[in-house]
Amino acid sequence: MKKMNETQLKELEQDLDTIRDQVLADLGERDARYIRKIVRLHRTLEVGGRVLMPFGFIPPVFVAATAALGISKIIENMEIGHNVMHGQYDWMNDPSLHSQTYEWDTVCTGDSWRRTHNYEHHTYTNIIGKDRDYGYALLRLSDDDKWKPAHSLQFINYVLLSVFFQWGVGLHELESERIRRREISVREKIPFLKDFFRKGGRQAFKDYVFFPLVTFPVAPVVLAGNIGANLIRNLWSSTVIFCGHFTQDAETFTEEECEGESKGHWYLRQLTGSSNFTGGKWVHVLSGHLSYQVEHHIFPDLPAHRYPEISEQVQAVCRKHGIPYNTGTFAKQYSTVLKRILGYSLPDRMRNRLLPEFSNPATQP
Amino acid sequence: MIAVLEKSSTLHWLGRQLFNRDDPAAFFDPLLERVNPMWVKQYTPARVAAIYNETSDTKTFVVAPAGRWKGFEAGQHVNISVDIDGVRRNRTFSLSSSPLQWQTDGTVTLTIKRLPGGLVTNWMHDHLEPGAVVGLGDAFGDFRIPNPEEPALYIAGGSGITPVLSQLETMAASDYRSPVTLLYYVRTQADIIAAEKLRALAARWPAFTLKIFTTDESEPQLLCEDHLADVPGLPARRCYLCGPKGLMDLANDLLYRRGISEDRVHSTFFSAPAATLDTDSLGGAVHFERSNLDVSSEGDAVLLEIAEAAKLSPRYGCRMGICHQCSCRKTSGTVVNRLTGKASGPGDESIQLCVSVPRGPVSIDI
Repeated sequence: MKKMNETQLKELEQDLDTIRDQVLADLGERDARYIRKIVRLHRTLEVGGRVLMPFGFIPPVFVAATAALGISKIIENMEIGHNVMHGQYDWMNDPSLHSQTYEWDTVCTGDSWRRTHNYEHHTYTNIIGKDRDYGYALLRLSDDDKWKPAHSLQFINYVLLSVFFQWGVGLHELESERIRRREISVREKIPFLKDFFRKGGRQAFKDYVFFPLVTFPVAPVVLAGNIGANLIRNLWSSTVIFCGHFTQDAETFTEEECEGESKGHWYLRQLTGSSNFTGGKWVHVLSGHLSYQVEHHIFPDLPAHRYPEISEQVQAVCRKHGIPYNTGTFAKQYSTVLKRILGYSLPDRMRNRLLPEFSNPATQP
Repeated sequence: MIAVLEKSSTLHWLGRQLFNRDDPAAFFDPLLERVNPMWVKQYTPARVAAIYNETSDTKTFVVAPAGRWKGFEAGQHVNISVDIDGVRRNRTFSLSSSPLQWQTDGTVTLTIKRLPGGLVTNWMHDHLEPGAVVGLGDAFGDFRIPNPEEPALYIAGGSGITPVLSQLETMAASDYRSPVTLLYYVRTQADIIAAEKLRALAARWPAFTLKIFTTDESEPQLLCEDHLADVPGLPARRCYLCGPKGLMDLANDLLYRRGISEDRVHSTFFSAPAATLDTDSLGGAVHFERSNLDVSSEGDAVLLEIAEAAKLSPRYGCRMGICHQCSCRKTSGTVVNRLTGKASGPGDESIQLCVSVPRGPVSIDI
């Protein structure tokens, strides 16, 4: 990570706080109208998708209904759920858009997400050993983990995680790796597991039992469409999230360098540990504006549709302080994510030879 | 059709599973409100039917609540919610009409005075038009007509007349025979709210005596011993006070000196918010509602620390205003955001405990 002294960090903090304060002072009708429009779009797509699905025995209708339901889940999870739970719209004082009571259309409970994502991931971003989102305790994505033969198959794990992403996210708080290492007992996780089964059961009941049953004669069609919609959402959200922190230049940090850190240091870590990707307006909406991961990580509770508007200012602050601003096309960023997953599945020597951009001087022969 | 989600417990359960929310009927609100805002389920909608000027700074809003509104008793208040610049604001007002009116034509009235610097009252005066829809909460409050019938004395000041109007209308309609006297204090003749209605009541209802005093005209007539001495049979009367704090304090004091016991005096507060804001005024009495705990705070201690010092363990995360783990509801009082220095509104709203400093008494829903 770029080294900055406390005076420089203080200045960075003030520069970013200025941007934040400008947005906060300007929040109002426009933001309320935006999120309500998105909520309306979600309701329209979900109702439309569910109503069309039983007619899915006509192939083009099946495609339309599955796409509508899949996109509705993506919008609800990314642009509404994730952002509302960050408190981006708490200032509206609307109980339906409140961070602490919102419950989203996925297996992970809102409460578990608020603990593991809002608190752990956003506070300890990319600190190896503290941010369990870094590789989800499943993938080796940096030199901080020693290579083991099992890692050579991790690309399969990655594909499985993406396909079943909502279940993976739902089970994240189980901390199965710590249970395996006997650092914690399963008993401690019983309250979590109860919530997990309740919410997971609810989600599975809805998409795989209830809606197929009420449309009984065409149940297989509805079941297939609902599975398809969940799959679309799983693959897309997993991909977006992997692009946020695992691109080639996204940095990692050690616990020591972050101990007792200042707000300025926290900002620096968010800037260097996150990565953006470019795209059209709808790519940003469908990613919940996590395509502006850098802006999201420095200002997690500003309404996300504001990120494109402040991006120029954030880049100017980065230039001023000589901090890299990590962005690129979706194709470029995602390809480096795949290379990272593949690269770190290899022993260090082989990786250094095949993917020198991921080589670490310390492990060079 | 969507209403069945609320009526049948099985369907309500099913709705919770399908829509992931405790008020499943409200899932469709974003679509329904585009068709008809009166179909919204999240709150009880009420359509503004008419708006009248009472005085230069007071208006009466006639609103028609949705059919599921539960009704009220004369003298009770309601919370009104309106969206102002994207923010939902809740404020409490008295209903100024009688329950009889609601039963006959389905409308209730709110008589609202502009508060100097008041965000909601000024917005309602300037922007609310007939046809608009506002949120209307359930009625509450125990400022109620004597039951069984008893002689009564009302002492009202300024816009404090509103719950009294509702009660007088109700009593007149029910042929209340015991003597009822109203001592109404206003600044000038032009500030009398519902002047016509009061005079009409006095004309048609023999048991009622109306006395209006002006406090800011050539001969200031402030509440005094003599005004009470002129009320016949005062010791037998149940007393109702509603108005600015100064008037209520004085009335309480005078009634006490006349030997009227406290349990026969009923008050409801309508004090204007403190106008002076200085930074030394931080801190105050904090009431944690769900824990039923009262503590006091000083200086710029944040609510999270205050709660923890009181042995409560509210949920929290970063403790630096980022993660919103500690967001919860403030039901009344004003807090100042430690990061921005900005003060909140006085009503029900969501705050972050870790960066909110109380300014004056505050109630928190934890």
